Amino acid sequence: MKKNSNISVLFKGLLLENPVFVLVLGTCPTLATTQTVIGAFAMGIAAMVVLICSNVVISLLRKVIPDTVRIPCYIVIIAGFVTIVQMFMHAYLPELYELLGVYLALITVNCIILGRAEMFASKNSVAKSALDGVGMGLGFTLALLAMATLREVFGSGSFAGMEIPFLKDHTVDILTQAPGGLLVYGLLIFAVTAITQGRAPKKTSFGCEGCPSAGNCSACAEKEEN
Amino acid sequence: MKKYLKSVIALTAICAVVALLMAATNYLTAPIIEQNESAAANEALLVVMPEGEDFELMDLSGYELPATVTEVYAESTGGYVVKLTTAGYSTGLVIMCGVDAAGTVTGATCLASSETLGAEKTYGEKTVGKTAADIDTVDTVASMTKTTGAYRNAVKDALNAAVILGGGSVDLRSEEEILKDNLSAALPAAEGAFTPWFMVEELEGVSAVYVADNGSGTVFVKGEDFVVDPALAQKVAESKVEALDLSGYELPTAITKAEKTASGNYVFEVKGSGFGINGDKYYAPSGEPIMIRVSVTPAGKIIACETISQQETDGIGSACAEPAFYTQFNGKDESNYKDIDAISGATLTTNGYKTAVGKALEAVKILEGAA
Repeated sequence: MKKNSNISVLFKGLLLENPVFVLVLGTCPTLATTQTVIGAFAMGIAAMVVLICSNVVISLLRKVIPDTVRIPCYIVIIAGFVTIVQMFMHAYLPELYELLGVYLALITVNCIILGRAEMFASKNSVAKSALDGVGMGLGFTLALLAMATLREVFGSGSFAGMEIPFLKDHTVDILTQAPGGLLVYGLLIFAVTAITQGRAPKKTSFGCEGCPSAGNCSACAEKEEN
Repeated sequence: MKKYLKSVIALTAICAVVALLMAATNYLTAPIIEQNESAAANEALLVVMPEGEDFELMDLSGYELPATVTEVYAESTGGYVVKLTTAGYSTGLVIMCGVDAAGTVTGATCLASSETLGAEKTYGEKTVGKTAADIDTVDTVASMTKTTGAYRNAVKDALNAAVILGGGSVDLRSEEEILKDNLSAALPAAEGAFTPWFMVEELEGVSAVYVADNGSGTVFVKGEDFVVDPALAQKVAESKVEALDLSGYELPTAITKAEKTASGNYVFEVKGSGFGINGDKYYAPSGEPIMIRVSVTPAGKIIACETISQQETDGIGSACAEPAFYTQFNGKDESNYKDIDAISGATLTTNGYKTAVGKALEAVKILEGAA
């Protein structure tokens, strides 16, 4: 698969560059909304919608947005989309809106979205950015679903609210709490790392261009001078 | 400069476009959100008024409602759902109560509370079907008197609010305020400042005496009436109590102070053993006696009785400090002083109190040489 081909852009988010298990971004909503499968799914889809929209818009505007104010611009765009998604959910999916609570608004500061805006959308075409949004969004959703499934099935003895006969009497309560969430998170990172066996990009390979603070960083400036 | 200008323009333009988009979304979704929210609120209202149809939040300005009422929803058939905030053991006891067009409670539920024992969760069921006339007959729950008493008063407030909103009028004054108003009406010159006078003289038909703080007169309570009677006032003004020489007498040890009036009546201070002294070893006893003042005629008739101090359980035995309890002894004698209504849930307090009053009657007998 050619690097950066449309298909690879779409699929890399699922496993090789999975935002949750490989890039380790968006940890807070990951831990907070994966107690139930339904909550995780709703969070994943909401984040995916915002991610796709913001990626497309940021990619469209990448030549217009001046470099010095790019982060505020990205944040305004992302926050705008989050608010719009929030309002639609409040109107049409009030139960999910209640379920996600403050984490819905916190998508604004989800590192995955700002990260993709900075690392991908601002440098690539609209189509590729949209695909990246879909891929990363799916990766995020699947990661949340994987975690939520483990936590809900074994922690609450149910799946998407439906009780599972044997397990409902033998729950591992810690899984529904924050420590259990971290435990499952760690195990899944281990599993993904074992599967990808180092094919996932190493942290260093992102280099300075991947860092939102690159422009103001003295270490980067030194590097450039050398 | 151009670079900065470009940044400012770009950021401003993005903000403006995003704001416009958000405004458009808000325009689309706000009515639906409002509709959803009122449907959810209606659902809560239906809990307390299952037969209710359309509810509409009322504008309460212009009505003088009980202080606990925070919100009222008018129901289309003439009923009201009243939201009240009161305080039981702690503040923040929020109750929703439905009152139908006939003034009957259709339901009451607790929306929020920080009470300790949880009585408020089910107490509302007891008030269903009650009206303003018989709401006071709903018993409070023993050992949770504060919570359930506050709950019952809130339901009563809801019933009163329904009457007021329906165009009726309700006396919202507390007993204290009513007393103060009556006293002021009887003697305006006193400017509302009165001190109750402990009755040490027998005054025909008088149940209580209030002396104006500024010396402008004395008001006597005769049945329902508040009267100014100069002849009786003279008697009150002349009445004097003097310490009694107790040498040669062996009075009951509960008597801590004995005095006599010029007219021959006795005034005693008696120590009563309430719950804290008699009490249950598993319940933190205060160990403090109930201090009682009793005036008795030489013939052994109780003129008046009052509680000076007490440390009984708050909300239960503490009712012995209420005039409603201790004035029951007024006019009684040895033969019938025990025939008074006991304080509900506080048998030990009541019994201790009765025993103390009995000691005073015993002391009179000794002092009069009859024993």
